[in-house]
Amino acid sequence: MITNLSLDTIIISLVIGIASGAIGAFIILRRMALVGDALSHVALPGIALALAYQIDPFWGVACFCVAGSIIVWILERRTKLHSEALIGLLFTFSLAIGILTIPNTEILESLFGAFAPLSFPVFIFISVAGALLIALTFFLAKRFLFSIISSDLAYIESPKWSKWYELALFVIFAFVVALGIKLVGALLMGALTIIPPSISKNISRSMASYILVSALLGGFIGFFGVTLASRMNFLPGPTIIILGIGLFGASLFFTRKA
Amino acid sequence: MEQENILEVKNLSVNLDRENIVDDISFTVKRGEALAIIGPNGAGKTVLFRTLLGLLPYRGIVEWQKGIRIGYVPQKFFVEKSFPITVQEFFLLKSPHFWMPDHAFLEHLQHELSLVGLEKEILIKPLSELSGGQMQRILISWAMLNHPDVLLFDEPTAGIDIGAEETIYTVLHKLQNDRGTTIILISHDLNVVYRYADNVLCINKSMICHGKPENVLNPKELARIYGEGGFYHHVEEK
Repeated sequence: MITNLSLDTIIISLVIGIASGAIGAFIILRRMALVGDALSHVALPGIALALAYQIDPFWGVACFCVAGSIIVWILERRTKLHSEALIGLLFTFSLAIGILTIPNTEILESLFGAFAPLSFPVFIFISVAGALLIALTFFLAKRFLFSIISSDLAYIESPKWSKWYELALFVIFAFVVALGIKLVGALLMGALTIIPPSISKNISRSMASYILVSALLGGFIGFFGVTLASRMNFLPGPTIIILGIGLFGASLFFTRKA
Repeated sequence: MEQENILEVKNLSVNLDRENIVDDISFTVKRGEALAIIGPNGAGKTVLFRTLLGLLPYRGIVEWQKGIRIGYVPQKFFVEKSFPITVQEFFLLKSPHFWMPDHAFLEHLQHELSLVGLEKEILIKPLSELSGGQMQRILISWAMLNHPDVLLFDEPTAGIDIGAEETIYTVLHKLQNDRGTTIILISHDLNVVYRYADNVLCINKSMICHGKPENVLNPKELARIYGEGGFYHHVEEK
């Protein structure tokens, strides 16, 4: 049975897992898988700044991730560099700053996650924000898909709004990454947005099932990951990711024929 | 009775990366007209289309009639093999309800598919598994779903076989007759231009001719468009 695992952690792992799987479904289709990986690094200077000012690191993470996603969105529209190059520049810079500025005692937790006790306001904020982000992702699913399939057709269908839907995708993604960093860690959180949709893509034939299965798998991996980590006394981040990769391996046996 | 203009283009120029791709083009399109745009490869036809759709910056005037609804069938539409979307879900992007489509929408969809000669069974197929001809018909149907006033059609038959090509033009002609849809199409195929277009606009970066095919498509003008000895009969971009 589950021991030493608080209800808070269970709720957070489920919410973050489902939110990661849902938004990750679109990130994979848009071929931005590594953006999430790198975006989470932007959180590191945020953590350092929050620690310096003695506020909960979560708020620093949230501000830096959302700002990072807006910068990527703007740069992607303004330059001809591929987003990988932009991300390479921006996020490794953040990682370098983060490593230099975060106190040594906090580094491991920042990078790989922890069962750190959450203050009540932060717990409520993460749970409610996570649930809202899940709802918003499903609500905007059609818009996200439209711009991924053809940004031209999306623009013609909705000339005034199409670019804002793109921004919404980036910001929701950044928020989800920010919510999960405390539990999963800055280095590994991106992977939680990549693994569930990768498994789901292997086994789904329709878009509806792909998104739903991805969201459910995210919740499943989050929940069982923290359960396992708690029982084995592991860090939650690496346990969640290794469990997810294991499931991905298993899904290869059920891959639909293209 | 004189039909009203649905589109007015005046002194349109498009400059991309400091290169003039489209230079000082002017023309009008009347409601219900079928206009074919022809020109050699690299003449700026697709750029002109994308500019008309508001996708590229330009100088000059592009004025659509107010409240006009536009359908667009792009030249290139590629769905990656592993992209998990069915044909029905592709159409649902145009429905207000993606997750729970209403019955009326699905009935209307099946009716529209029948107009382009497709059965409703195709709706459950993955979009990436369609043949070139099926995809082209799906795209026409998709563009026509909300009954647009004008349909922009880039290279309708590039990459599909002759039988399917014939069907597509028959469908286009039928839509034009039945719904009075204005059609603007890019084509390399002069047979198509003669058979289906009311007017033709010839461009090679700048404007070369505009008028009825039988009036403007003479050997002299064709040589100006495609160059002396140019291969202009039924050429397709691959």
